[in-house]
Amino acid sequence: MRRPARKRLKWGHAFVTVYLAIYLVFVLFPIVWLVLGSLKSRYEALLVPPKLLFRPTFLAFDKILSGGLLHVFGNSLSIGLANVALAMLLGIPAAYGLSRMRGAARDNIAFWILSIRMAPAFGLVIPIYALMRGLHLLDTLPAVIVAHLTINLPLAVWLLLSYFDELPEDMEEAALIDGASRMQALTRVILPLSGPMLVAVALLVFVFSWNEFLFAFILTSSRAQTVPALIASLAGTMNFDWPLMSAISVAALVPAFIVVFLAQRSITEGLTMGAIK
Amino acid sequence: MAFLQRLGRFPASFVLPAVLVLAAIVAFPTVYLLYLSLRHWVIIEPLRYFDGVGNFARVLRSPDFWNSARVTFLYIVSTSMATLVLGMGLALSLNRTFFLRGVVRALVVLPLLIPPIVSGFAWKFLLNREIGVLGSYLLPAIGVKASLLADPHLALFSVVIADMWSRTSFMFLILIAALQSIPAELYEAARIDGASVLQEFRHVTLPLLVPAIVIGLIFRSIEAVNTFDLIYVMTQGGPGTATMTLSIYGWKVAFTSFDIGRGAAIAVMMLIATVVGTTALIRRIRR
Amino acid sequence: MRTTVRRIVLMLAVALTGLAMAQTEIRVISFSQGFAFPDLFGTSGTEKTDILKQFEQANDIKVAIEWGDEASVRQKVLTDLISGGGRYDVILLGSDGAVQTYGYAGFLEPLESYLATGDYDQYIDMNDVFPSIKEANTVDGHLYGLSYYAFGPGIIYRTDLFQKYGVEVPTTIPELETALQQLKDGLAKDGITDVYPLTMRGAPGEEPTLDLAGFVYAMVGYPAWFEGGAVTPDQIRESKAKPIFTGDFKPGFAEFVKLAREYGPPGIATHTWVDMMNIYSQGKAAVLLPSAINGYAALTSTENTTVLDNSDFAPIVVGPTGKPVESFWSFSFGINKASKHKADAMKVLAFLTGERSLQEFANRTQWPSVPFESVMKSQVLVDKWGAEEVALNAEAMANANPKYFPYIPELSDFMDRIGTAASKAISTGDVDGALNDLQAWALQRMQLAGYYK
Repeated sequence: MRRPARKRLKWGHAFVTVYLAIYLVFVLFPIVWLVLGSLKSRYEALLVPPKLLFRPTFLAFDKILSGGLLHVFGNSLSIGLANVALAMLLGIPAAYGLSRMRGAARDNIAFWILSIRMAPAFGLVIPIYALMRGLHLLDTLPAVIVAHLTINLPLAVWLLLSYFDELPEDMEEAALIDGASRMQALTRVILPLSGPMLVAVALLVFVFSWNEFLFAFILTSSRAQTVPALIASLAGTMNFDWPLMSAISVAALVPAFIVVFLAQRSITEGLTMGAIK
Repeated sequence: MAFLQRLGRFPASFVLPAVLVLAAIVAFPTVYLLYLSLRHWVIIEPLRYFDGVGNFARVLRSPDFWNSARVTFLYIVSTSMATLVLGMGLALSLNRTFFLRGVVRALVVLPLLIPPIVSGFAWKFLLNREIGVLGSYLLPAIGVKASLLADPHLALFSVVIADMWSRTSFMFLILIAALQSIPAELYEAARIDGASVLQEFRHVTLPLLVPAIVIGLIFRSIEAVNTFDLIYVMTQGGPGTATMTLSIYGWKVAFTSFDIGRGAAIAVMMLIATVVGTTALIRRIRR
Repeated sequence: MRTTVRRIVLMLAVALTGLAMAQTEIRVISFSQGFAFPDLFGTSGTEKTDILKQFEQANDIKVAIEWGDEASVRQKVLTDLISGGGRYDVILLGSDGAVQTYGYAGFLEPLESYLATGDYDQYIDMNDVFPSIKEANTVDGHLYGLSYYAFGPGIIYRTDLFQKYGVEVPTTIPELETALQQLKDGLAKDGITDVYPLTMRGAPGEEPTLDLAGFVYAMVGYPAWFEGGAVTPDQIRESKAKPIFTGDFKPGFAEFVKLAREYGPPGIATHTWVDMMNIYSQGKAAVLLPSAINGYAALTSTENTTVLDNSDFAPIVVGPTGKPVESFWSFSFGINKASKHKADAMKVLAFLTGERSLQEFANRTQWPSVPFESVMKSQVLVDKWGAEEVALNAEAMANANPKYFPYIPELSDFMDRIGTAASKAISTGDVDGALNDLQAWALQRMQLAGYYK
């Protein structure tokens, strides 16, 4: 539904435009600098004032392709996707169940799930390492996937829980009365109304796994190395290849940008309550 | 028997898988962490023994711990508030459709896609007072001549800026998803009642966003407590100890002083503090 | 029936042969992916070059390597060592804490007995190694590490700036101060605000301590950390030597802080070696000391012709006692005591740190920071820097005293504390406050460790 135009909208628009413009400059300045750096030599990349006209060199990107570093991207991708799948598979039912639960049990369980996220990472390093070692899971993707779940699942559950709480129960109840099972109520009534939040959760889970460093590093060696671990190991001692670090980040950014662009289209108004009323 | 039957029913059967999986993963590590915190275990010392609260007492007596606690508190509050405000502004601005909205939204999320260690180095190089594009070239041109990374009063500020840059999109995503699910009818009703933009925000939008805001703040704060790479790379916790947060301090205790027991104690204390803080926050919102 | 039996026999035969041919896998952990051993693991650090494959085949060993940044590798190594897992056979050690801590804690395998057998002579000639290198890797009489590359002290400076402002190359600390002051005045008079007389590192943590300890050593002529200059746990226990951070340690500490504050760039309190390298590389500093390797790193990555054409190496200045401002660090490798294949690990270790490996290093980086005399004086380095400069570097390396700080298990802790105190002192100017805190902490630390019972 379109809203009638109003004078106050003009001020609103002006403010919004200015705000976005400033914020975009803030966001893009380092990124543009990063991209330029990946195309320069080590010396040029950090030169001040930066040369805006320069002959780009693709040496850094070459290193990625020729250096057999592609499997690292593959690892990160697998871990991210697996986490999204598992977080959704386990988190959606859990959030729905908690949402429709009554009483103290709901608050307690929900809080317990949240508390899993609260343990500081550096404290868990040695214990989780010991656990994975005991299970002979070191340097495998499952070890990292599982470790990440302890962070992603609480986030997914809580975000979805808060969202499901806001959905009125009449529609489900109507479906249940009509003979649907709870699972059907979930998949046929609730989920279609949850587009934006599902997308947001999927993105956040993926991004977290993609960027997570500590566990991904401690639990892996070379076979299951991830992108952040690779970048960190380039921060060598007595050696610092900034163009390569930038290039790897940029190489990871491009597909991610496309994914986000496509995904965010699902986060639009009118997909939810408005449609059903 | 009846219990098992109940377990197979909604909602237990829906919630159980997630709970079991999480419990299975963290059970051993949590117990082991607690165990470590009660032990005196310093790598370079041959003796290991049960120490009860010895580690905790030593940590509480250490001025470094309190300094780190203070720094961490300032850090969490600043970055959570900042990302909340910025993220809210973004979510509100990008709520309505306009040309290129999709592109802008995707651009805005970009910093989140860059590993914190790269963000840390990027900001370290940019803010560098001697050879940074911002620190030595653009900022001095507008009168900012301080060394942003080495001035004890400004270092924390710089680290917060970098963190804000990196993490605002997290808040943005949570808020915009919540924002998009506010039914248009509510805005209609408000407008019919003659509400101004601000009133609309205060009485329609904000109340419905509260759950998302709370979750965002909680997760953002927990993330802030765990931030290591970004700060370590930018300032090493310095100058001196001006930006030494608890995560850096705890890491140093465990891996530089090789005091595993004390490191575990710090982790346990941080966990307790987070639990207490979060409970308090949630209670306040629930009132 | 017969075909089944035959098939089974065949399968068994294949399996047994496979078992017989099962290679020992030696796992190495290191930092500087792409920089360390590219001749073996490629510039990505994940390949296997022909040179490596030849070695593997000749010795029936499979070499696997893992990488990380320094902080993370330390975490990983420690996690492995304390779990006794023996996951890593060959471990990267730094001579500023790891060698000492792991050595004293019994996590490392002593290497002398292996080397004495002569079995590894084809890879490494211990007589060619600078004595200082051996010394740096020796803890409590045992050799625990072999160096990949190492650096000694030195000064890298801008000859053009020295000439312009009539500055003479300093040989003592007072001369250094004069030189820096001349530079500072000259630059100010010319209105140059973005070039600084000196670049050093003052970030919290262990980095500045390497350099700072050198000043301490030079100012009073001995490692003034504990009473009487005790440098080993036994010495400290015997004489119950208390820390003297507010005593003889102070002159060197104060000097370091003073130079940093007065002649260093504004951001020095959080500068690491990366900053030193970048600043010098972009021509923003006139002098870089005492860890000259960072200057060489700058020189081999810069494209600033002014810097390239006008940089020179000078021996490090000496203190009032005639002792130099030391700065010594070695990127060493050792063997995990819990390793299940120590002899093979030793082979890999010797291969990684032998002359061949270091010659490749020299050819590639052209840094005169190699542990072998023959490699230091090899043609490629002489061509790059000139015979004289190479000789100076060789001398600096040969004459360096790596034990200019104590070799105790708690070293890592001290290095971190001292560096952080320096960073604080540099940013606030409060030298006494920092030293008082340091002294209080050190006393308690040593008492807790049971030294004074």
